[in-house]
Amino acid sequence: MQKTRREILLFMGGGAAGAMLTPAPWRLITDTAIWSENWPGIPRPAAGEVSERYTNCALCPAGCAVRARLVNGQPVSLAGAAGHPWSRGAMCAFGLTAHHLPYHPDRLKVGSASEAETAAAVADAMARRGAGEKAAVLDLAPGRAASAVYRRAMAAVKDGVYLTPERPLGGARVDLSKARTVLSLGVPLFAGWGTPGNLYTARANFRLIQAEPYESATAALSDEWLAIKPGSEAILAAALAGKIPNTDAAVATGLAEQRIVDVGLSLRANGPSVVLAPENSPEVFELNRALGAFGKTLVADDSAEHGAPDGATLASVPDGSIRVLFLDESVPGAHIPWKAIERKLVPSNPLVVAFAWSREGYGRHAHFVLPAAVYPEMLTDIPSALDSPAPMFRLAAPLVAAPAGMIDPVAFVAKTAGIDPGNPLREKADAIQKAGRGSVFTPAGGKSTPVRSLKPDDFWKALNNGATWMGEPAAGTSFAKPASTLAAGDASDFRLAVAFTGAHFATLASPLMAKLYQDSDLRLAPDTVALHPDTARAAGLADAARGKLETAYGACAVGLVLDAAVPKGLLRVAPGPETLDICGANTRAKVAAL
Amino acid sequence: MISANKPNKTARYGMSIDLDRCNGCGACMVACAVENNVPPVPEEATARKGITWIRVFRVDNGEEGEERRSVFVPVLCQQCGEDTPCVHVCPQQAVEVDPATGIVGQMPERCLGCRYCMAACPYHARYFNWWDPQWPAGMEKTLNPDVAPRMRGVVEKCNFCHGRWHAAKERAAAAGKSEILPGDYTPACVEACPTGAIRFGDLKDPASEAARAAADAHSFRLLEKIGTEPKIYYRSTREWVRQAAAAPKPQEKETAHG
Amino acid sequence: MKIPGSYLFLAGALAALGAGWVGFPHVIYKSRPQPVDFSHKTHADKAGLKCEDCHAFRDDGTFAGIPPLEKCAGCHASAMGSTAAEKNFIDRYVTPNREPAWADYARQPENVFFSHISHVKLGGLKCEECHGEMGASDTLRVYQEDRIGGYSRDIWGASPPRNMAGAAPGMKMDDCVDCHRRQGLSHSCLDCHK
Repeated sequence: MQKTRREILLFMGGGAAGAMLTPAPWRLITDTAIWSENWPGIPRPAAGEVSERYTNCALCPAGCAVRARLVNGQPVSLAGAAGHPWSRGAMCAFGLTAHHLPYHPDRLKVGSASEAETAAAVADAMARRGAGEKAAVLDLAPGRAASAVYRRAMAAVKDGVYLTPERPLGGARVDLSKARTVLSLGVPLFAGWGTPGNLYTARANFRLIQAEPYESATAALSDEWLAIKPGSEAILAAALAGKIPNTDAAVATGLAEQRIVDVGLSLRANGPSVVLAPENSPEVFELNRALGAFGKTLVADDSAEHGAPDGATLASVPDGSIRVLFLDESVPGAHIPWKAIERKLVPSNPLVVAFAWSREGYGRHAHFVLPAAVYPEMLTDIPSALDSPAPMFRLAAPLVAAPAGMIDPVAFVAKTAGIDPGNPLREKADAIQKAGRGSVFTPAGGKSTPVRSLKPDDFWKALNNGATWMGEPAAGTSFAKPASTLAAGDASDFRLAVAFTGAHFATLASPLMAKLYQDSDLRLAPDTVALHPDTARAAGLADAARGKLETAYGACAVGLVLDAAVPKGLLRVAPGPETLDICGANTRAKVAAL
Repeated sequence: MISANKPNKTARYGMSIDLDRCNGCGACMVACAVENNVPPVPEEATARKGITWIRVFRVDNGEEGEERRSVFVPVLCQQCGEDTPCVHVCPQQAVEVDPATGIVGQMPERCLGCRYCMAACPYHARYFNWWDPQWPAGMEKTLNPDVAPRMRGVVEKCNFCHGRWHAAKERAAAAGKSEILPGDYTPACVEACPTGAIRFGDLKDPASEAARAAADAHSFRLLEKIGTEPKIYYRSTREWVRQAAAAPKPQEKETAHG
Repeated sequence: MKIPGSYLFLAGALAALGAGWVGFPHVIYKSRPQPVDFSHKTHADKAGLKCEDCHAFRDDGTFAGIPPLEKCAGCHASAMGSTAAEKNFIDRYVTPNREPAWADYARQPENVFFSHISHVKLGGLKCEECHGEMGASDTLRVYQEDRIGGYSRDIWGASPPRNMAGAAPGMKMDDCVDCHRRQGLSHSCLDCHK
């Protein structure tokens, strides 16, 4: 049968008209819309039952109380626990995103060798140690229950030594609630120092004088900013204590002589005052003594409950003497440049075992690195906060299960030393309950109760549900004057002062923290240096985006940011895995082309 | 039955941000990203292509040396109340001002990605998805089920944590109420701010913290002169900060940094 | 033989109507049986259960939806009756403690926020108004999944075209908005989208 073109068109026209009267075209339009809104490849958040749990943040000794929101038992967001007497519901950006840490792209999932292989290598090295060759634990977060086990383990080993970092302010604790005037010598008060909630509450009652070369966030919010020359903090402190003439200090700091006199007067007239500095220098110690801060705004932490570390400092160990070193960085703590640690190792065949959750830490330099759980997977206690005159005990209770194959550093070290670790957390809790001092705040109920009214099991249960125990304020009055320490790398070649732009959390940050430096320019990206254009030009880096940062400890590649607001002679260094390896306290540096 | 429970009260949600308290810690920015499933950006992203529903800018007074003074200014969608520029220009009707809450809603479902609204927004508060959202393996488990992730090619912005508004409505419904209880609805940035610089509430309710702070003599809004009637108020006792917010001509004063 | 043009047109229209109404649903929807031969009727009649006994609201007002296996196992740890369906359910799911992969007829797209409690408690809607006679059904009907959209064809039974809207409301956004308009309720985008 022959069809004409006209007939086919008629048939198709009828088909089209008929199709309009069926659901097909309309359904296809809707379907396409729904498909485009549910674009394939986009993750779908799992829905389910929402619940709340309380814990404490283990990222720094502030230990802010955390309220976690969980969906089907998985934490999806963290917030401060409102009404908390210590952290007051406040948290920093790092703490707010800590529930991402278990899924960090740099997470260390498998160690360099199995636990058994590592243990065998350690046992071998321990046995082959020569005369006087030490075994050591470097505890970067001393004052925990685990610290006591490390100390015991090293005491049980021949030539064992338990090492702790230098304590900020020589172990003194700051009572900001008593201070009326605070002089900060470049302390990042609003960028990682102390406990945010406690600090902002106390802030309403003290006058803040910030002496810092750069107008940092703390300087921007201070009542008075002293734009001193880089590296002249100790000279200013000495002048204010009356140890050197104000005329000399005026030249060194770049401040008018009258300004120094006025600051001195206001510190004395508007007391109690306190002077804060990143390092415990003799000048700051003298000034605090002259201002009568000791016993008032600064209290000595001599109570056993504070967990005062009686470990040796790294500086007290001779160079080239440690054969076997255990480094526990699973709980964040103080940072010591790797090169400063390395020089303590024996020259030939040392053995360093690192327990790490991330691939970016000391594990890069260790001979063996074992994977460890990270907050909020682990159960640990948090050392007392620097700005708390009272000792504290709180647990970071796990919110999620740790992946399989994680190694417990405490158990490993105890096994190596042949001691029984026991249950240090429970023992510490029971000791506090038995002593019966202080009170416990339970965030779920929002109530404080005296610890003596709780049974040991109830106290333990409360602690595992995010409770905070606060003891009675320390009343110690013995303060040791620190020895004068030469700044590391005081060689004339390194002329630029280094100022870290924040806490050393660089390797502890959620990928979302990039919102603060990549999606925006609120902060410097990790391993970046901001410097004055003239400083860069002098180093031949006028247009370079990257350069080399050199200190007495070594060199590393860094990103460069030119910023005319950074004074000449200063490098603002954003902490990152590379810069932390070569920069420490009082580091001086230079920049050069890569 | 239904009409008896109909909400009859409308709100005008707004904020007051105390710039004298903001220390630029960035807690609001990350809390916002966590709450609203904003992904970490790919490595090639820059400050122009990243997504930050709330972004803290550092603004200085233009002086050098020790005369220099800085202020941190968190900028989010200003929730314009009048002549809302993004609503006017959208060819898709993908933006609307909700009469019940005063919240300017952006509908990624409708958006065709022309970015006309981004050009129209005087506050640079709108962001474009240059990439499909990607999270590091495993991190998608931490996403918030109350907010749908957006696909590439659409614009998004702050909506005062609308997922929290839904949750508050649902809690109110469970209690038999059609209106949410004051204090039961707080956006994530407000909750996260450790210094208490951000206050949130119904500006129509004179007793709300936000309304009281907005009425303060030192309160102001960004670019007040263009008449968009934003519902985000700022407050600073510093004269130069208030001047900067009025955006003098660039040759008179350099205000933005970086 | 010469066929009049109007007949051809009609033939085309009829062919398209047939294809659109009869053929198209077979093409666009993928049928999937439910994992368990579940009878709402048996549970309602014999065990005297009400909808909310299994499909409950949580304390925060959210709707728990299809109950988890744990809830079923609370009664069916071992067989209560003698049906093959129950034995099958216990052997395949309860004993190995495996969640059945229920297909949810009322599952909404990811970007939709639907509050059950607002509709039930504030709006006073009965379950049947959206879910039809599900509670009295003896078997679960076959789940028809849209091949492109990925969602169920309807909430309860094949819905008629909207212009002939019958008892059960459809799953489309227009169906939601129509009702909200009729009742004078708010219908801003963000009221229902997340």
